[in-house]
Amino acid sequence: MKLLAVCGFGVGSSMVLKMSIEKACKERGVECEVENTDVSSAKGTDADAVFTSFELGEELKSSVKCPVFSIKRYMDKAEVGQAVDAFLEQR
Amino acid sequence: MLAELLPKSHIQEIKSVASWEKAIELASEPLLKFGFIEETYVKNMIKSVEQNGPYIVLMDYFALPHAEAGNGVNRLGMALLKLTEPVDLKGNPVTVLLVLAAEDADSHIGALREISQVLADEDNYQQFINGSIDDIHQLLTG
Repeated sequence: MKLLAVCGFGVGSSMVLKMSIEKACKERGVECEVENTDVSSAKGTDADAVFTSFELGEELKSSVKCPVFSIKRYMDKAEVGQAVDAFLEQR
Repeated sequence: MLAELLPKSHIQEIKSVASWEKAIELASEPLLKFGFIEETYVKNMIKSVEQNGPYIVLMDYFALPHAEAGNGVNRLGMALLKLTEPVDLKGNPVTVLLVLAAEDADSHIGALREISQVLADEDNYQQFINGSIDDIHQLLTG
């Protein structure tokens, strides 16, 4: 499955979020491909889920078809883990 | 990689600042002074928080200000500002600001990976947000 980690520019925060998601997936024994990207590219990218901030999440929910999970602290292991769990339960 | 990107001359400590905008400006000063970035990049970092929200706060008390890669960036670099009193960044208290001057999409991946690994440890994280700049420098580059 393919997951997107999104921030405004796709270079800093989203890269950190990608690392946090990869770690969470690995700990849960789930295979995943995570790509970090900026908010406008995310709108045109196919994925199984999008992980982003609350502000950008509102914008993306109306423009992507897949589920969008909002995260406040991109480096917070517990919070990112909860979002990954929520996604896995939905599948 | 962090040891090269974040030399001691890029690290500053101050008791308090009036606003998060001032904190980003002050944190960026070494990068401006040594020619890593232009004023545009500083303005863009502030604009990004205004437009996109405070997601640069990656953990409680720790923010990673950055903006569009390559726009106003001459060279990949980082600079750190440690505040004794937290500044409010749109509802989030912050004591450590680590400015990332990104030259392109991924040349800084090693540095971010190192930071994530260091801060995944709770003791390291506590030292990072509460320690002196010598502690922080040692933690990140030691």
